[in-house]
Amino acid sequence: MWKWIQAFASPKNFYSISHKIIPWFLYPFILITLVGLYWGLIIAPADYQQGESYRIMYIHVPAAWMSMFVYVVMAISGGIGLIWQIKLANVVAKVSAPIGASFTFLALVTGAVWGKPMWGTWWVWDARLTSELILLFLYLAYMSLNNAFDNPKTAAKASSILAIVGLVNIPIIHYSVTWWNTLHQGASVSSIEKIAQPAIHSDMLMPLVLMGISFKLLYGALMLMRARDEVLIQEQNSGWVKKIIMESGK
Amino acid sequence: MTLAETFSFLPYGKYAFYIWFSYLTAFVVIGGLFIRTKTIHNNTFKQLRLKYSRN
Repeated sequence: MWKWIQAFASPKNFYSISHKIIPWFLYPFILITLVGLYWGLIIAPADYQQGESYRIMYIHVPAAWMSMFVYVVMAISGGIGLIWQIKLANVVAKVSAPIGASFTFLALVTGAVWGKPMWGTWWVWDARLTSELILLFLYLAYMSLNNAFDNPKTAAKASSILAIVGLVNIPIIHYSVTWWNTLHQGASVSSIEKIAQPAIHSDMLMPLVLMGISFKLLYGALMLMRARDEVLIQEQNSGWVKKIIMESGK
Repeated sequence: MTLAETFSFLPYGKYAFYIWFSYLTAFVVIGGLFIRTKTIHNNTFKQLRLKYSRN
């Protein structure tokens, strides 16, 4: 297993293997998104309390899940790069940041748009919203720090430390609705007990699960696509990169 | 006339503006991510090709 990971983590092997993996993320993403949207926007019934407005959930909740998931991936990859000096781990962390920031931005915007008809306001400084906003700032800080150094090794080291320190915000986001009295509603499906006995009907839950899967596939596809280009940049002095680039221009 | 009432002709009535605005934002953000990824890819190849052709 370790040998397989080591082989895959070699930039050259990663470049060729990832090319074959990307379609396995991209095509299921398109298919599952279409099914999820059809189910969520057309089949799922209106909510007895929130009416039709709850349909924003099918974008807002998966985006919020992904904002935290991508950050954890980024911090773990940064940590692996920091401890074991695996170049590919630093690449994964670096390319994940803008994707995670986009998911966080999407969660915040759709949350505000959902908040207006339900709470009567676009924004409140409640624990969940504020900690999610801090997550967006952490992503922006990571990207700024990563671009602030000319040496990629120093950039990776500094930004990975920031990502690891910022990891403390993830449980704060997740448990904010439990620890504090917030305007934001509590978790409906994100704990083990709630998965077994969800607070929402299966006709509403299924499209949410599908959209959650589709956003994960989207991240997988985008991360691999961007990582391939980052690998080429970092390995530009290698013969295999020169060969790929020169052959692509023919 | 409020913003929500203006868009009430769309499916989901008074919530139409909020729902469709959310989905439009998602479409723009995800579309933007794909476009940016493609731009990075093209720029990477262009820059590296230029570098190798100079050497």
